[in-house]
Amino acid sequence: MDSGTISGIVTAVFVVVFIGIVWWAYSKGNKKRFEEDGQLPFIEDDTPGKQGDKQ
Amino acid sequence: MEATTYNYKVVRQFAIMTVVWGIVGMLVGVILAAQLIWPDITFGLEWLSYGRLRPLHTNAVIFAFGGSAMFAVSYYIVQRTCQARLWAEKLAAFTFWGWTLVIVLAAVTLPLGITTSKEYAELEWPIDILITVVWVSYALVFFGTVMKRKTKHIYVSNWFFGAYIIVIAILHLVNSAELPVTFFKSYSAYAGVQDAMVQWWYGHNAVGFFLTTAFLGMMYYFIPKQAGRPIYSYRLSVVHFWSLNFIYMWAGPHHLQYTALPDWAQSLGMVFSLMLLAPSWGGMMNGIMTLSGAWHKLRTDPILKFMVTALSFYGMSTFEGPMMSIKTVNALSHYTEWTIGHVHSGALGWVAMITIGSMYYLIPRLFGRESMFSTKLIEWHFWLSTIGVVLYIAALWIAGVAQGLMWRAANPDGTLTYSFAQVLNNMYPFWGIRLLGGSLFFFGMLIMAWNVWQTTRQGRAVNDAAIPQAVHA
Repeated sequence: MDSGTISGIVTAVFVVVFIGIVWWAYSKGNKKRFEEDGQLPFIEDDTPGKQGDKQ
Repeated sequence: MEATTYNYKVVRQFAIMTVVWGIVGMLVGVILAAQLIWPDITFGLEWLSYGRLRPLHTNAVIFAFGGSAMFAVSYYIVQRTCQARLWAEKLAAFTFWGWTLVIVLAAVTLPLGITTSKEYAELEWPIDILITVVWVSYALVFFGTVMKRKTKHIYVSNWFFGAYIIVIAILHLVNSAELPVTFFKSYSAYAGVQDAMVQWWYGHNAVGFFLTTAFLGMMYYFIPKQAGRPIYSYRLSVVHFWSLNFIYMWAGPHHLQYTALPDWAQSLGMVFSLMLLAPSWGGMMNGIMTLSGAWHKLRTDPILKFMVTALSFYGMSTFEGPMMSIKTVNALSHYTEWTIGHVHSGALGWVAMITIGSMYYLIPRLFGRESMFSTKLIEWHFWLSTIGVVLYIAALWIAGVAQGLMWRAANPDGTLTYSFAQVLNNMYPFWGIRLLGGSLFFFGMLIMAWNVWQTTRQGRAVNDAAIPQAVHA
């Protein structure tokens, strides 16, 4: 198998993997899960007044 | 016993050094811009000549300013979104002192003329080894912290940081493969066009993974936080991440259009550069749409202005870049001032502005204050920076296109219409505007330094930020 064929196969595999990722990200079943993941920076409070000046 | 607080010390150190190195790097840039107009402005000293200061400028702004910012925000975000204290804190402290030593060594060796001559990889082999040691430590601290996370999911910013840390390690190791001759001199392991291809595979991915992927991680955390609402589409951010990773790696050959590089490789670089438009604009829209329903905040919040303007420049330069990679456009733009303008629309408009906005968010939190010392000064900083960048890139657009057209102009008998010196002569007004724009941006950084100084003076270093105990999700 020459390098051109290998490159072709690798490219095809990457394309399939990428389409799989898009399908996974946008599938209905994962909608809620990703919405929750987007909340991750907000499930804790980092307002400055609540943490400083104690030491 | 399990730690109950976050490590803010190393974040604080890197955050302060971000401001310091930003000023140093941009000052060198201003000197360089002035040298183009008045070549003898540095008294003919060889250590301060253009050829030696130029790599100092690029290394200082990319690796010292940008690098310190990335260490600061990645250590902050990985802790807060994983709800875990940094893993191997002594190693984290080492990354600060090690990285700072790298920067100091760069500042000494580059003016002395000690260089490998590879763009953005000028540092000689002993420093390359030190970089490798620091970077591996960084990777251990970062991924160690991700591993001990208390949250189930790894937040998207951390994915971007992870990709950046891994890819930069690979790029550095491959491109810096060199044969040492003396302690201060080495030669590249590659020769001829292979060397050029490896160099620009490195060079463009330094733009792609250092100046883009890493700072997108910053964007995906600080824009939602400052806007007070989650990212517009988390699912789009997942696709954004993977499509960038799949495509960026192959765009490098666009730096070598019409060279000895095989034609197919040039076309490949062009096609992948064009494809990059899709993820780049997807990411930009995702960031900007996060503000939908909260646009009014833009009127009053200069930090948010910095972030959204940064995204606009990100969109603009990621549109301009693919256009410039098209061979016929590249035939005009390559080697002209246009390229420099393009780089600064990305570097000042995107990288510096998202960094500045994020630092204004971060620094008060590291010093236990509600906000920066003066919001008014942030507003001033914002307008100085914005006007500065616009002047800078507009001047170099006009200069670059004029330069390209004049270089290619030919008389009916085939001789060139303009000599090189004639074209050069036409550049002075534009270099003047560029110097003005760059100086405004630099002046904004001085205002920032004053504001940060006052904030730290009135605040107190926070070392006891608590990790939330009740864990959701």
